[in-house]
Amino acid sequence: MNRTKLSPANIVILAAGVVMLIASFMSFYRLPFPGGAVTANAWDRGLFLIATLPVLLGGFMALQVGLVAFGRIDMPNRLLGLTWDQVHLVLALQCVVLMLAFWVESRPPTVTFGAGFWLMFAAAIALVVGALMRIATTRRRPRAI
Amino acid sequence: MDGHKPTPAELTILIAGGAMLIASFLHFQDGSSVWDRYTFPVAALLPIYGVIMAAEITITDLAGVKLPGRVAGFTWEQIHLVLGLMAGLMAVGWLLTDTGKKPIGQWIEIAGGIALAVGAVRMQRERRTGAIG
Repeated sequence: MNRTKLSPANIVILAAGVVMLIASFMSFYRLPFPGGAVTANAWDRGLFLIATLPVLLGGFMALQVGLVAFGRIDMPNRLLGLTWDQVHLVLALQCVVLMLAFWVESRPPTVTFGAGFWLMFAAAIALVVGALMRIATTRRRPRAI
Repeated sequence: MDGHKPTPAELTILIAGGAMLIASFLHFQDGSSVWDRYTFPVAALLPIYGVIMAAEITITDLAGVKLPGRVAGFTWEQIHLVLGLMAGLMAVGWLLTDTGKKPIGQWIEIAGGIALAVGAVRMQRERRTGAIG
């Protein structure tokens, strides 16, 4: 493993992607009742695929970072005309927009968000932070004249 | 005013965006539109993306208004591509999400989202951005 390739920005993205994936199997919505609770995760009926999209997008980001850092795979410089920094920013923003939308959405008063939702929300924010860190790092890098 | 006749890609986005806006007031899920409680704003993201794309084309290409060439480092063609692909992705997301019987509003939003993706990809070829093909 070539760890020297993993920048702080990529560590944030990799960690956030992993957290997002794990959290997706935890409770997204929670319906408590005396003595217990009914829960649904992002892969359950009624939530899959729309609530699973942030997981897939975050997973793709983490996979790209992981493949470049550990798999020694050379990626093309651009994807669909976008630099990889732009791709990460766009995917991270889409993740956070979706999670924000779920947060704002009205739900029956008895239904609450579970730990999985909050972890996914935090991971989505971390993905944006990681993507912005990548862009900031690229801008600081000295360019050849 | 320096407008021009819309190209096939622009027309696709304009029609899809318009149809999605109108369909957003029809039933999307359980007798609610995308603007109602329990569906807004998750379901509203699709028509919002469509309206943004259609509005940019209307303002710049049809009305001839000049907008800044780039927004946050992205060209308008890239913004269309990104919004179109994300709309397409969400459309597939809603297509596969079990929301019970899908009303006509949801079908139009799904078709519109896919049409936005097709229009955005086609725009890259029309404007020779080099992003695709």
